Amino acid sequence: MMRQDLFELAARNMRNARLRNALTTMGIAVGVASLVAMLSLGIGLQAFANHQLMKSGMFQTVFVTGKQDIRNREESAEENADKNSGNAKPEEAPVLNEDARNKIAALPGVEEVVPEVRAGAEVVYGDKTNFTMLAGLPESAREEDVVENVKGRFFSSATADEVLLQRDFAKKLEMVPESLLGKTLTVRYAERQNGDSTSFSIERKEKQFRIVGILDAEPFGGMRMISRARVFLPTGTAEAMNLMLAADTQQLVRSSPGARTYSMLTVRMKSAAYAEKVEASVKQMNYAAYSYLDATKSIRRFFSVLDMFLGIFGSLALAVAFLAIVNTLVMAVLERRREIGIMKALGASDADVKKLFFAEAATMGLTGGALGVALGWVIGRAINFGSNLYLHKLKMPAENLWTVPLWLVGGAIGFAVLVSVLAGIYPAARAARLDPVQALRYE
Amino acid sequence: MSAEAWSKETGAAIEARGASRYYTMGETTVRAVDDVSFTIARGEFTALLGPSGSGKSTLLNLLAGLDRLSAGRIVVAGRDLRTMDSEALARYRRLTVGMIFQSFNLVPTMTLADNIELPLRFAETPRTERRERVLELLTNVGLAHRASHKPTELSGGEQQRGAIARALANRPSVLLADEPTGNLDSRNGQEVMTLMRELNEKMNVTVLMVTHDPALAARYARKSLHMADGKLVAPVEALR
Repeated sequence: MMRQDLFELAARNMRNARLRNALTTMGIAVGVASLVAMLSLGIGLQAFANHQLMKSGMFQTVFVTGKQDIRNREESAEENADKNSGNAKPEEAPVLNEDARNKIAALPGVEEVVPEVRAGAEVVYGDKTNFTMLAGLPESAREEDVVENVKGRFFSSATADEVLLQRDFAKKLEMVPESLLGKTLTVRYAERQNGDSTSFSIERKEKQFRIVGILDAEPFGGMRMISRARVFLPTGTAEAMNLMLAADTQQLVRSSPGARTYSMLTVRMKSAAYAEKVEASVKQMNYAAYSYLDATKSIRRFFSVLDMFLGIFGSLALAVAFLAIVNTLVMAVLERRREIGIMKALGASDADVKKLFFAEAATMGLTGGALGVALGWVIGRAINFGSNLYLHKLKMPAENLWTVPLWLVGGAIGFAVLVSVLAGIYPAARAARLDPVQALRYE
Repeated sequence: MSAEAWSKETGAAIEARGASRYYTMGETTVRAVDDVSFTIARGEFTALLGPSGSGKSTLLNLLAGLDRLSAGRIVVAGRDLRTMDSEALARYRRLTVGMIFQSFNLVPTMTLADNIELPLRFAETPRTERRERVLELLTNVGLAHRASHKPTELSGGEQQRGAIARALANRPSVLLADEPTGNLDSRNGQEVMTLMRELNEKMNVTVLMVTHDPALAARYARKSLHMADGKLVAPVEALR
């Protein structure tokens, strides 16, 4: 039989037992609705969490350190032992110098490579002198939400002689920190002066800065080394100052001072999609690399497990629908015995009869699936509306906890059809097996 | 001898040789059709007579490819039923034979036109051709004005004529009828029998009709077969 005829006959048969088929179809719809509701809640929560994390821009960032770096010593030793590679000694690993910085900057997707500049310095304001930490804040911090609640403004350029102060530190200088805006302070610091290739010297320097902003919270949510500072200046300015850094001490102790090296480079990508590739390339250059993508792997795993459980609970209702379909079709086979006998006498093959029942099951699945997705969407909107009312009562901003992606719509309908066709296997086989002589005798 | 060659040589529409159908019921074996042999020529109108329970209907079901032989051989229009699998038998029922029943067996939820279209759907006849063919068949049996009626809205005679139209939809060479007038009054019964004879004469369809009414057989059939207890009691006998 041709497919069109099959579905025409199936539709006719469904119309003849309208109530029963409608009820079964509703059963499928409820099953699919619960599946869609559960899964889209899971997906929505995941998207919500992802959005919160993405806001920090951390997923677009890879941190690179030399394997010589003290912080990576143990880790890289372990790694090397694992991989059995030739460079077991961290001393022989390549240093993180200007050359490395340029190479990393040339990788596809890389937008900016900033060294971590963080050093102790003396800050003089009026008659107060404090020894504290200085850190360079990259230009990219401006566009993102990394610096929340700035009183005043961000740096005017990457090389401006301007500083942002942490509120707690600012309080030490003036009772009302806001009154510091526009004032000037002096920083006394140690400058590294390159000598020949084997040595460098340190000199005491002084520089004046304008206070342009007060930070209420630590930048990057306090999750990075440079967050642990009191005074922030543009990276460009900080680099130009040639501050004496912790990495310099290491070089000195090893008595192999050469050109300037960096303790850490922060690599920013155009989007998070590049992070994994860049991280891999950097590791291939034999540097240590780390990104928050690594840290969130477990979070993502948590969400896939959550989705799975929500999916299983959602599927339970569909399992009930499965039984309803089997029941409906078995009833239909009993009821239409004679009709099946007639069809066989007129030349329908066993396969035709089987296909007809599958077509009926698939029709119920398709209709039920489509209805179910619509119903699930409505339920989801309702849950979202309810939870936002609750958030509103708590004076929190409304959040979209609810996402129904297109693949879920297609997937749910497809799944409903699949389940229905599976439910049709037994009734269809039973119908095809009917002996026409007996079926025709049946009144 | 191949089935093809066999029926070509004999010029037969239906050939049965030692055809048998046994049923086992617990310990006993019922021989519903027991070693039956006969030949029916092409274009013949034959009545299969016998009391109820004599095995007429079982033999008809065997010829229709609805039931399977326990032993022997049946060849219809050159097709050896014994060697066919269920798919081939379905094809045979679809294209080679048409069948009508005492209780008409129209699908009650379908209109008359839909009923007649059913075998054409199974034969995968293209849609437009199908519509023309249904109209032609309805006109042939004088029911063109009843096309969109459900079987329950038709008289018994109309239903049986509709069933005949459906049986002939795929232009079979053999029409098998199982007590076609059993549920009809004499006027409607005559109408149906006249139609069958007309089709037999005009379209050269071979007809085998089961009946327990010798008078009906004598009036419309040209030849007859008599069965009792699953066996043929007399060879093919000319009635007129």
